[in-house]
Amino acid sequence: MSRTRPVNCIIPPYILEKLLDSEDREERQAALDTLLVTARLRGERAIRASFSGAAAPGVGRRTVFDCEEDEFLANAVLARTEDGPESADASVNRAFDALGLTRDFYKEVFERNSIDGRGMRLDGYVHFGFQVKNAFWDGRQMLFGDGDGKEFSDLTGSLDVIAHELTHGVTDHTSGFEYHNQSGALNESISDVFGSLVKQWSLKQSAEEADWLIGADVYTPGIGGDALRSMKNPGHAFNNPKFGKDPQPDRMSKFVHLPDTWQGDNGAVHYNSGIPNKAFFLTAVRIGGFAWEAAGSIWYESLKASGPEDDFQDFATTTFQKAGELFTAGSHEQSAVLSAWREVEVPVKGVPVGVARVRSFAVDGNGGAGRMDGSAALAKQVSALNDKVETLAKDVAALKGAR
Amino acid sequence: MKVALRTYGGLAAVLDPRRPPQVLDTDALPEAAAAELARLLAAAGSMPEEDTDGRARDAMSYTITAEDGDRVTVLEQSDAAMTPAFAALLTWLRKHFAQR
Ligand SMILES: [Zn+2]
Repeated sequence: MSRTRPVNCIIPPYILEKLLDSEDREERQAALDTLLVTARLRGERAIRASFSGAAAPGVGRRTVFDCEEDEFLANAVLARTEDGPESADASVNRAFDALGLTRDFYKEVFERNSIDGRGMRLDGYVHFGFQVKNAFWDGRQMLFGDGDGKEFSDLTGSLDVIAHELTHGVTDHTSGFEYHNQSGALNESISDVFGSLVKQWSLKQSAEEADWLIGADVYTPGIGGDALRSMKNPGHAFNNPKFGKDPQPDRMSKFVHLPDTWQGDNGAVHYNSGIPNKAFFLTAVRIGGFAWEAAGSIWYESLKASGPEDDFQDFATTTFQKAGELFTAGSHEQSAVLSAWREVEVPVKGVPVGVARVRSFAVDGNGGAGRMDGSAALAKQVSALNDKVETLAKDVAALKGAR
Repeated sequence: MKVALRTYGGLAAVLDPRRPPQVLDTDALPEAAAAELARLLAAAGSMPEEDTDGRARDAMSYTITAEDGDRVTVLEQSDAAMTPAFAALLTWLRKHFAQR
């Protein structure tokens, strides 16, 4: 399903306010940057293209090291730098390219400058240890094992896995979700959400077209069609004699309780992430179109607004609030968020009684005086915004001319 | 002496219950290999563990148990913070189990 949204649904209201009110040059510039991002989201690449060369070099610069099957990063050998030549080693180049795609995704979709928002360098280590069946974020850099060829092939073979690991760094620098129990499962889910979005964005897939799988390219290379996790269908990513059946829950009534220890996966963080993963999937398909646009923006803004100890209900409530701020209360997008969390049995706090009613008004078109006022106000808002967009478009043209 | 390696966590932590411990008996090893393993175990056991800063995500952790008669040694470390001696022992065990 592809939907054309009115412009007020794409530019968040708080940016609208800046657009409408600001006399300040810097603020106008910030608004302009945002406009460029939003313009890009709508496929208007031409505007952005005129700026692609304007990005300062040295933001999120990549360096890939070869561990040569050692576990000690100090012994690793420099294999590829941001400006250096391609490596003869495919693992090095895959890691380099995937780190670049993930960095570009955050920059172009969310205007985020690397992991910390301030251009932090991206260091990746390939061939980590002997046949290590894992990829991880150590708090500063990303490490990728070669796999054993049975459970996993070379972990650099999966863009969503690499983006998953880099996103752990982004979470560290935003919500800081603590890595145990529900906040830990949210931490894991955020990495799956943005890991999958990076892949969808790179393939230009709509929510309907995407496979919503994590690790499909590297998990059990001998078995086709399976993956480590499925956001669309948690609990059904794999089913094989050696590893059994995917144990991820897709709703609160199936929540997995394990001890908050290494052996208990820090309180089942890689299990219960299935619940918020499914909520994101449902939100994205119900909104339709490209998942990184509306659903991704709601989740990204919510990540930035969340705290280290937030649980599922807190995060669900934050996404509901952010959907209201970004797309107006009672919007299609906010309703999608609400229905998604309801389906996975996570209650959302503070849902106004009127939300459902506002929604039904919009659907059945049975507008009273109040609705007419709302529509008139909205039309006025859109009209004012259009004026500003035109002004900004002129700014863009002027800047383009100045280059 | 019986030596067992258990692996937990990581990106595929949900597979933990399906990962049985990998076990070897030094009696079945060539003499030189058994001596090498004993040396690696002693070195890993004598080196103080590294502190983890708790910031690692998807890191794997490992429990190595050595049972020599009544004497049981348990070593537990993580990818996030590993001593060189533990890493050497782990790599030796991984290579040994990969051959089988
Ligand atoms: Zn993770």
